[in-house]
Amino acid sequence: MAQSGKGKLNFRCPSCFMRDLDIDMFYDKDKKQYYCIRCQYTGTEEDVLAKNEMARFRYRAAMKRFDFGLDDMEWGADGND
Amino acid sequence: MKNQFVVNVIHRPEMVPEYAEKVTGHGKEENISRKALLTESLDIFKTQQAIAHKNGIKTTIQMTYASLFNDEAVSLAKEHHEKYGDEIALTLLGLPCKEFREKYKTKDFCIWMFSMEDKKEIVRDVFGKFYDTFGFYPESTGSYYMDAELTNFIKEEYPSVKCAVATCWEEGPKAYHTCNNSWYTLFDGGPWAPWIPSKQNTHAPAADASEDSGIVAIPHLSRDLIACYDGNGSNFGTHPQNVLRGMIYDSKTWEYPYLYNLIDQYRNLARFNNGYAYNMMFVGPGWMNKMGRWEAPYELLLKSYEDGMAYYGKLKKEGKLIDMTMSEFADYYRKKKTYTEPECALWDDILYGSEKELFWYTDPYMRACVNMDQGGAIVDLRPYAAKLNWPVGIGTKHVQDASYPFLIQEKYRAGYFTHYAGEGTIRSAKVTHNGEEVDLALCRTKAHFSEEIIDGRKNRVLTLDTVDIEFADLTCSVQTKVYFEEGTGRVAHERKVVKMSDPTASVSLNEYIVACYGTTEYPEDMTPVRLVIDGEEKQEIAYEYKCREAAETGAKSVYALIPPIETKVSLDVERKGEAAVSGYIKEGYAFSPMFTLGYTTQMKEGEVVKTWLSLEKAN
Repeated sequence: MAQSGKGKLNFRCPSCFMRDLDIDMFYDKDKKQYYCIRCQYTGTEEDVLAKNEMARFRYRAAMKRFDFGLDDMEWGADGND
Repeated sequence: MKNQFVVNVIHRPEMVPEYAEKVTGHGKEENISRKALLTESLDIFKTQQAIAHKNGIKTTIQMTYASLFNDEAVSLAKEHHEKYGDEIALTLLGLPCKEFREKYKTKDFCIWMFSMEDKKEIVRDVFGKFYDTFGFYPESTGSYYMDAELTNFIKEEYPSVKCAVATCWEEGPKAYHTCNNSWYTLFDGGPWAPWIPSKQNTHAPAADASEDSGIVAIPHLSRDLIACYDGNGSNFGTHPQNVLRGMIYDSKTWEYPYLYNLIDQYRNLARFNNGYAYNMMFVGPGWMNKMGRWEAPYELLLKSYEDGMAYYGKLKKEGKLIDMTMSEFADYYRKKKTYTEPECALWDDILYGSEKELFWYTDPYMRACVNMDQGGAIVDLRPYAAKLNWPVGIGTKHVQDASYPFLIQEKYRAGYFTHYAGEGTIRSAKVTHNGEEVDLALCRTKAHFSEEIIDGRKNRVLTLDTVDIEFADLTCSVQTKVYFEEGTGRVAHERKVVKMSDPTASVSLNEYIVACYGTTEYPEDMTPVRLVIDGEEKQEIAYEYKCREAAETGAKSVYALIPPIETKVSLDVERKGEAAVSGYIKEGYAFSPMFTLGYTTQMKEGEVVKTWLSLEKAN
């Protein structure tokens, strides 16, 4: 079959994602391969997932919970109207 | 004083959700009337409503045009209004449906892009259909963007409208780029938090009652004020599925502390806005598609919405959150804010671990961003003082481009750093000693926020931690304070030489702004620009890309007139002591299509120089 379609999930190209581009990839069933129509990335699902983990490198604080000292502030409906 | 954290949750029964037809319909001929699509859309709306109500949060139901033709959607809205106090409102999003396409013979769906004639016809049609359905006109409306002409028309025809979703913060060329140049929401330059739009330009807040458009505007999503300015806005907001879009979650545990940090940082803004903070969540049904969205399966999409709403619910139970409908919020906001009171946000990086800090400021005269990681330099500046009339849509000069023009934009027109030659837009200062020069933009620091009354005027003040500049034979400690003067369109940078390793030494201070104008990444025609020194005699350079300069000792002010954006930007100096000040103007050239205004003077230990930047309308 010549035409490609979408995979079981709608993966974006991890290479383009890392340059702030959201591009849906298409799936070549014969080659069992996702490919990007904009750049030259191709890969299996396993490779896409691995590269998605790599894309998270810049989010160094993504899993940290910040404390803004909000519990020390008084909250309520009777504000400074 | 008690602080108040106000939240709007908005749902829209969008019978043909954005994305859904493109995603679930891949490989099928387009058919926006597919029964499966309509059924799923309504199911998502029901799910969203149920999640909010389960957590004790009331919603604003923004009926779409398409949903007004659906009896079940109408019935649900009425029921939830009665039972939960939800507001029944009307959005101008979600126009696409069989009825709309047959009537208007177009696939356009963004209300601000239609011709004014069509805008009026569509608004009358949609509002009329709403009235026929519910027996009253809505109090709230919205779209991704509401141009001033559209808002003015709606307010005139339907005075009941008092609140509208009116822009999406920093959704412009960056979002366009992220969508492979296929998503035409070009409206950078607006406020990130609620405001009263002026009649002249939606982005620019009204300065007084005569400019008041009659509505309170809210942004479409509460966005990360660092991440969205740098990257794709649609990854970083209080929209749980946007956080998933950004892949900002643990792919194994499905945890996303960033979402809660973002909500909490919005709560923290109460510190800078007299105890008031605002947040909103507005997830379109396309983001909770049963087919999943990109890498995220439906289960994760659903979980993220449940978790986000549960956090709101928890805060409400603890008395730390007040949920309102949009119209309730409009009433609250009108009581809470004055026209000239600015919106302030001292914002920390909560995602990248950089410890960067920005300060965003908006009032009726300007929007500005001060970057503490660049020594308090202004890296984005929008001259709202001009209240630029900028009609958009078919038949205007700006069919899609609804951005408010900038004078400074460090991403589109470089900032401190440029390649090889030329200058980028920035408002900063250089300190020079014995042939060595240091730009304060390279002195990373932090700020402390305060309010001060100076000469009878309220100022929002940033006091930056002192930085130590090391020259070969001298160490010079400089403190910067930034003053935003309420109600005047003026912002000052005050530099104090706190200490020098040689108390008898002096350094040269060069306060400057490099600016241009535009809304996109590409340069505009600079030939209408005129640069002027107002001194003993008036010196003027009419811009011709000839790299000319002029200076005058004792100049009262230096300024630029930029007719395409009807703006005058000027600098003037407050300086005690005997040292002379010299004002200068610099024209750019083709490879550096900028202009520079500045002042130079000498400073000794203990001396203070305050340089004001002023923005005015100039036709």
